[in-house]
Amino acid sequence: MSIEVKNINKRFGDFVALDNINLDIQTGELLALLGPSGCGKTTLLRIVAGLETADQGSILFHGEDATDTHVRERQVGFVFQHYALFRHMTVFENVAFGLRVRPKHTRPTEAAIKQKVHALLELVQLDWLADRYPAQLSGGQRQRIALARALAVEPRVLLLDEPFGALDTQVRKELRRWLRRLHDEMHITSVFVTHDQEEALEVADRVVVMNKGRIEQTGTPEQVYDQPATPFVYQFLGDVNLFHSRVHEGWAEVGGTRFAAPEASDKAVIYVRPHEIDIQRVATDTALAGVITHVRLLGATVRLEVNVAAGDPVEVELTRERYVEGRWSVGEAVWLSPREARVYAG
Amino acid sequence: MAFKQHSVLPGFGLSLGFTLLYLSLIVLLPLSALVVKAGHMEWSAFWHAISEPRVLASYRVTFGASLIAAVINLLFGLLLAWVLVRYSFPGKRIVDALVDLPFALPTAVAGIALATLYAPNGSVGQYLDLVGIKVAFTPLGIVFALTFITLPFVVRTVQPVLQDLEVELEEAAASLGATRWQIFLRVILPTLLPALLTGFALAFARAIGEYGSVIFIAGNMPFVSEITPLMIISKLEQYDYLGATAIALVMLVVSFAMLLVINGLQWWSAKRLGRRK
Repeated sequence: MSIEVKNINKRFGDFVALDNINLDIQTGELLALLGPSGCGKTTLLRIVAGLETADQGSILFHGEDATDTHVRERQVGFVFQHYALFRHMTVFENVAFGLRVRPKHTRPTEAAIKQKVHALLELVQLDWLADRYPAQLSGGQRQRIALARALAVEPRVLLLDEPFGALDTQVRKELRRWLRRLHDEMHITSVFVTHDQEEALEVADRVVVMNKGRIEQTGTPEQVYDQPATPFVYQFLGDVNLFHSRVHEGWAEVGGTRFAAPEASDKAVIYVRPHEIDIQRVATDTALAGVITHVRLLGATVRLEVNVAAGDPVEVELTRERYVEGRWSVGEAVWLSPREARVYAG
Repeated sequence: MAFKQHSVLPGFGLSLGFTLLYLSLIVLLPLSALVVKAGHMEWSAFWHAISEPRVLASYRVTFGASLIAAVINLLFGLLLAWVLVRYSFPGKRIVDALVDLPFALPTAVAGIALATLYAPNGSVGQYLDLVGIKVAFTPLGIVFALTFITLPFVVRTVQPVLQDLEVELEEAAASLGATRWQIFLRVILPTLLPALLTGFALAFARAIGEYGSVIFIAGNMPFVSEITPLMIISKLEQYDYLGATAIALVMLVVSFAMLLVINGLQWWSAKRLGRRK
């Protein structure tokens, strides 16, 4: 089912949480709302769910106005960061909850409930935990139960609020791949909120990058990563080095390397990702001189921190092989030249 | 089996020893003296002392009124705690402080105040009298006094649990299609149950032992509005120490049994709530 978000505004006192948000969510897609904390992404998700009301604007489900529909009737599945499982119920009863609270004439029979719950528990691969209580489960298991519980009512939309936020890295990675596979099987329209760019890029069909209550960019993971619309998106989607430069005749400079600058500006900010910088021991006119001050080994890659004459230290990322080949060490004088860069008016 | 447990503070042996000693001195010693004293009685004399019709009637009054008062406070204590946690309104702090007042007030003062108010010529009692309701000097008066005295228990045990209850649970239930009433019955109430039971048990126990406030409003009519603690006092006044001890022992045993049952229930429901492994 498609969702349309139209001109949504929301304030909490003086704080503008959402500033005129417009967004189309297509049927069957898995959409990520990505942004730093306080950017309004959770508020937007809660407004779509009906757990929060917007000051202005409307929410359309499949073309129908759902703005004033109570969360109870909206038929959304909501998954919370901290699971929100009912502690006094077994896993089975948690999943069965949405079926048991139905009005009598639409409530399935006990046998049907049993069958449905076990099917869902099998779907999340936790059928063997049916008789346990939530306190006896690990974080990852709890979140999968929460998902099964949300799916039990056959929601038209699945909304997940930082679903993996409370889990440790390993479980998180495993679970997000699992979520992707699950989505590929079920094709239920899903929106999830995250502050982790890796998670958004890996899992989502489309990513919505938000900042300060506004949408900065909407696009596929490739689009937002390769063609960031704003400096914020560029910075938020990966590590970045910043260089400030004056613009001469339409060109900005880093060291001696020239990049085309946006028109009609005399100053520019140049963004370069750490892996887009070449490092060498020979001086050239187009390279920036510096001294290696730190070497950090990060598994498959190595980060060098290089102090340059003007501005902040520059981070350079090398593959492990290139680092070993080059035998770079702390204290060495080096010359840097960016291969790629993105220039914004500064 | 390792009996010793690791904890932040050292000295498990010392602290357990001190706890046991302290409990023995403060609680167990006086109570065992009671049992020892009662042990001096002949069985038939003991039985006679505790099964006199007048004493039997006092058991009914005491345990009956205490039960009613505890149930009333179970319902209204929950309501009061709910209002204090979930809503904000002007004067909330004052209301919150008022809840504890029955703890602080001398019970005799409470009894006299209630008796004055609800007496047939009192400022409230005269109107109740018109519709034929008599509060003071009847068992109803006892219920009133006990309800007043035990008000804080349920409120104060439920309040912190309600405060910690995540709103997300209610939101999750609502998104699954539950109505408000279903959310309350199926999600909130079961979570509060252990705290409610604790508050109920404390209120009930306190009401059984209450003396000061009740005697002023009860009228103390034999077979009608005499409470068991009063029976003990009147036996003492007649220098019938053994008789008083016998009745006291019955109260002790019954109270202890009831508290044990309620604690068991509470333990069972807390276990279901799954305190972490």
